[in-house]
Amino acid sequence: MPHRANVMICTCTNCISNGSLQIKEALEKEISKHKLEDDIQVVPTGASGLCVKGPILVVQPDGIFYQKLKTKDIPHLVEEHLLKGRPVESLMYVSPGEKTPIPELREIPFFKDQRLIALRNRGMIDPDKIEEYIARDGYKALAKVLTSMAPEAVIEEIKTSGLRGRGGAGFSTGRKWESRRKMQDDMKYIICNADEGDPGAFMDRSIIEADPHSVLEGMAIGAYAIGASYGYVYVRIEYPLAIERMELAVEQAREYGLLGKNIFDTGFDFDVEIFKGAGAFVCGETTALVASIESKPPEPRQRPPRTALWGKPTVINNVETWANVPAIINWGAKWFAEIGTEKSKGTKVFSLAGNVNNAGLVEVPMGITLKEIVYDIGGGIPHGKKLKAVQTGGPSGGFIPERLLDLPVDYERLQEAGAIMGSGGMVVVDEDTCMVDVAKYFIEFGVDESCGKCTACREGSDVMLQILTRICAGEGQEGDIELLEELGQAVIDASLCGLGQSLPNPVLSAIRHFRDEYEAHIRDKHCPAGVCKPLFQFKIDEEKCTGCGLCRKHCGHGAIQGESKSPHTIIADKCTKCGACYDVCTFNAVTKVANSVMEAAVSH
Amino acid sequence: MIKENNSQRIGVYICHCGTNISHTVDIKKLVEYARTLPDVAVVREYKYMCSEPGQDLIKKDIEEDKLTRVVVSSCSPLMHEETFRNACEDAGLNRFLFQMSNIREQCSWVHSDREKATAKAKRLITAAVRRVKYQTPMEQREAPVHPDTLVVGGGIAGIEAALKIADSGKKVYLVEKEPSIGGHMAQFDKTFPTLDCAACILTPKMVQVGQHPNIELMTYSEVEEVSGYVGNFKAKIRRKARYVDESKCTGCGECMRGCLVRNVAYLEPDEEPEIVMEPDEAATMQGIMEKYREAKGAIVPALQDTQMAFNYLPENALRYISREMEVPLGKVYRLATFYNAFSLTPQGKHVIRICMGTACYVKGGNRILEAFEDQLGIGAGDITRDQQFSLETVNCLGCCGQSPVIAVDEKIYGYFKQTDVRELIKEYS
Repeated sequence: MPHRANVMICTCTNCISNGSLQIKEALEKEISKHKLEDDIQVVPTGASGLCVKGPILVVQPDGIFYQKLKTKDIPHLVEEHLLKGRPVESLMYVSPGEKTPIPELREIPFFKDQRLIALRNRGMIDPDKIEEYIARDGYKALAKVLTSMAPEAVIEEIKTSGLRGRGGAGFSTGRKWESRRKMQDDMKYIICNADEGDPGAFMDRSIIEADPHSVLEGMAIGAYAIGASYGYVYVRIEYPLAIERMELAVEQAREYGLLGKNIFDTGFDFDVEIFKGAGAFVCGETTALVASIESKPPEPRQRPPRTALWGKPTVINNVETWANVPAIINWGAKWFAEIGTEKSKGTKVFSLAGNVNNAGLVEVPMGITLKEIVYDIGGGIPHGKKLKAVQTGGPSGGFIPERLLDLPVDYERLQEAGAIMGSGGMVVVDEDTCMVDVAKYFIEFGVDESCGKCTACREGSDVMLQILTRICAGEGQEGDIELLEELGQAVIDASLCGLGQSLPNPVLSAIRHFRDEYEAHIRDKHCPAGVCKPLFQFKIDEEKCTGCGLCRKHCGHGAIQGESKSPHTIIADKCTKCGACYDVCTFNAVTKVANSVMEAAVSH
Repeated sequence: MIKENNSQRIGVYICHCGTNISHTVDIKKLVEYARTLPDVAVVREYKYMCSEPGQDLIKKDIEEDKLTRVVVSSCSPLMHEETFRNACEDAGLNRFLFQMSNIREQCSWVHSDREKATAKAKRLITAAVRRVKYQTPMEQREAPVHPDTLVVGGGIAGIEAALKIADSGKKVYLVEKEPSIGGHMAQFDKTFPTLDCAACILTPKMVQVGQHPNIELMTYSEVEEVSGYVGNFKAKIRRKARYVDESKCTGCGECMRGCLVRNVAYLEPDEEPEIVMEPDEAATMQGIMEKYREAKGAIVPALQDTQMAFNYLPENALRYISREMEVPLGKVYRLATFYNAFSLTPQGKHVIRICMGTACYVKGGNRILEAFEDQLGIGAGDITRDQQFSLETVNCLGCCGQSPVIAVDEKIYGYFKQTDVRELIKEYS
C-alpha cells in the first residue's frame, strides 16, 4: 500500500553534522507514537542543496520545505502537519529581508531557478536503496544502450549532446571516448575522478552521497561505448560518507546484475572498484591519479603518451560528467544540446559558498549570469555587506569582480575574464575579504600541494608566497606587483601539469582586478579590508561601548580592561589581534583602525 | 685600497650625437647641472664628441686647463671608449683616468619623456664624475696565457665542458673526487622533461672522456689549492692513495673479496633489521597483507588500512609492508610521506582538523586555527604533550555550506566560532 506522505530527511554530511540522524530517529518515534507508520514513511536522502539551512526536511508529495530543525521541533511538527494536516509556518524558509514564509520547495527562489540534470534525483530518493533509483528510470539508459545501440551510436549521441568534461578543462567527452574506442587492446579502463581536491567545492561529494547509482550507470554506459570491462571510482578519503554510500551502491548493483558478468544477458561485462585517494590535490591530475592507483609516486608526467592505467586505454571523467550521461541517453542529445550556450551545453553544478546567504549546491543551465546565481539563487550577501568578487575554479581559478557579474557562465567566457569554470567551486567574497590575503591563501595551498617535480612550480610558488607574506606584513616594496606578475607567468610557462600551469591564476587575477588593494598595502601600508593584522589595531569606541564586559570575558590574553558599565579599553601591548572581542561585541563598539590613521592621530 | 682622489680637475663633455641624444635629453640643462658637480673644472657640449674637432676639444683642455680626469657623456663604451682613451693619451693623460657615461643607449634611445630622461642623464653623469675620482693611472702589459684547462667535477656538466674544450684543441685536466666520473646523472633513470634514458646520454660521453687524447682524467683526486692569476693559475691536486698498480688492474674485484681487513671501496649493506611487532600488531599487519599481497599496485590501500588500524604508520609496519610486498623500503616511505592522509608519528587521542577550504578561510578559518594553537599551545601538525589532541589543517571537508567548519575525529562542527574553542577543548579533555 502506498504511503499517504513521504518525509524526506536530508542525510548529507552537512545535515548529519547538524543532527539530522537524531531528527530522523525522533521522527520515527513520533510517527509510531501516533500510529502513523502505515501512512507515513521516513526517507533519508542525499543533499537537498540548501546546506546552509540544514537539517532539512521535505514532506512529499506536497513539497513542503522545513529548515533548521531541532529535535525538540519534531513532536510539534508531526502532530500539526502529519497528523492534523496543518503545515508549521515557523519552521519554513523565509527569504532574506522578507517576513512571509514560503511553504513549498519549488517556490523558494533558491530552488526555483535551478535546472536539475546531474542532480535529478537529489532529495527524491534514498541513496542507499537501488530500488528507488530504478523507480526513477534508473538503469533504463544502460538497458537501452546495451540492447538497442551500437557503441559507436552511443559515442555519437554523447558527441551530439555537446557534453564537455565537468572536471574543469572542458574537453569534449564524446571525442575523448571516440579516441579510446579506436584503440585496439584486450583491456580498457573507466575511471571516475572523485578526488575533489579544490577547497571550497563539494559537488562530487554531494552527487555521490545523493545519487551514487547515476554515476555507476554513467560509467557502465561509458565502458560499453569504449569497450572497457573494469572501472575505478577514485574518491578522496576525506569523504567517508560518500565512500560508504558508493560501496553500498556497487554491492547492490552487483546483486541486481547491473554490474558484473553478462549484464542484461547481453554478454557485456563491467565491474567497479573503489579506490580511496590519500589526500593529495595533485592526484586530481589524470596522469598523477593513474600513478596513484598504480601505487607509484603520484607525480604528473608529460603527455603524450596518453594517460593509461596499467598501460591500457583509459577514460577518466569527473563525477558530474558521469552523472549526466544516463540523462542524455534517456532524454536525447538534442534535448541536452538545447540547454546552455553555443559552446557550453547542458547544466553545471556549483557549490556556492563563502559570504552568501544561501550557501549550497546549485545546478544551473550554462549561460546563466553570475548575478543570478549569487543574488537570485544565493539570496545575496549576509549582513548587508557589499559583494567584492566571486572566486571560481578553486586554486586554479580566479576572481571575477563585482562589475563583471553579468558574465554568463560558460567555459570560454569565464576564461576570458581570467577565471575558469573549474570543477564548480564558487566562493563569494564580500568587502571584508582582503584580496592580497586571499591570494596568499591560494598560493600557500599551491606551495603545500605542488608535488615538487618542476622547479618553476616548486620554487616559484614559494617565492610568490614570500612576496605576498611580505606585502601582508606591511613590508611590500615598489615593484613587488610587477615581480609577482612576471614570476606567475614564469611558473605558468615552465610547469608540466595543470596544477603548476594554473597555480598562479588566483594571484594574477586578483592583481588584474584589484591592483589598487595591492598598491594600498605596499604604498600606504594599509589593508582596506582590515584583514592583515600588522596593518591595523583594534580599538573600542568609547561612545558605543556600554561596558557590558562581554569582550573582556572572551579575551584570552587579558588585553581588555575596564569597569563594569563604563567604557572598556584595549591594551595594545597585550592584544594578539585574535578578533574575539570584535566578533562578540553586540554594539559594534570594537573597531579596526588602520595603523596609518593611528599614527596620524598620535601626531596631532 | 681604493680611495677617492680629491681635488681633481675634471672635464665633462656632453655629446648631442646629432639629434640622437639631444632630441630627448635637454643638453642645456645637463651642462648647467654638470657645472654644479664638485671638482668639475670644464663642461662642454658638442654636436659629435667622437669627431676629430670633438676630440681636439678634450686634448686642448687637458693641455691648457690641466685637466686630471675626463668624463664623456655620449654613447655606449663599446662604441667609443677606445677613441676617447686614445685622445686622452695623445694629450698626455693616462688613458685610464677617463670615464664614459652612456646617455644614448641607456637613456635617450629608450625613453620618450624629456623631463625624466634628462633627470636620468643627470644621475648617470653624476655617477661617472663620482667614479672617475677613484680611478688611478695604470699601464698595459702583456703576459703569456697558459692554455691548459682544469675542470673540477666529473658530473654531466664537467664531462660536457671537458669534451667541448678538448675538441677545440686545448688540453683538459678533469678532476673527480669519486673513483668514477658520471656524478648524479649516473644514478638517474630518466631525465626531465623529455624522459630520455639517462644512462644512454651519459655513458657514451664517459667513454669519450676516457679515450680523448686531450683529456687527462684524474679520478679519485681532489683539488687542494688554487693559486696564480687569470691566465696563469696553478692548481694542486691530491691524488688519493690507490694501493694498486692502475696500469695492471683490470677491476676484477678479486682483491676486495679476499681482503682480510675489509678495507674495501664499498660497504656491505647492513643486515636487514628484524621486524619487531607486538602479537596483535603482527596479526593486524598479517590481515592487511592477506588482503593486498597479491593485488597489483596495492601499496597505497595497504598503507591506508595500516594508518586506520594504528592511527599512524609505525616504522616496523612499513618495513613489514616493504618485505611482504617486495617493494623497496624507500618507495614505501616515498608514498607514505607524499600523502596528507598518512602520518609517521602517533596522533593524539582526538584529532582536531581545521578546515582551510576557501569558504572557511574567507569566513575566518585561520583565526580559528590561531585560537586553537593559542589554547592548546601547539602548532598545526603537532600533538599536545599529554597526547590528548592532535591539531591539523585539512584542505577542505566539503561542508562549505556551514563554513567555517572544524572536525574532531569524525564529528563535524559547522558555523564554528573562535569563542567556542575553549568550550570544545574542555568537552574532549
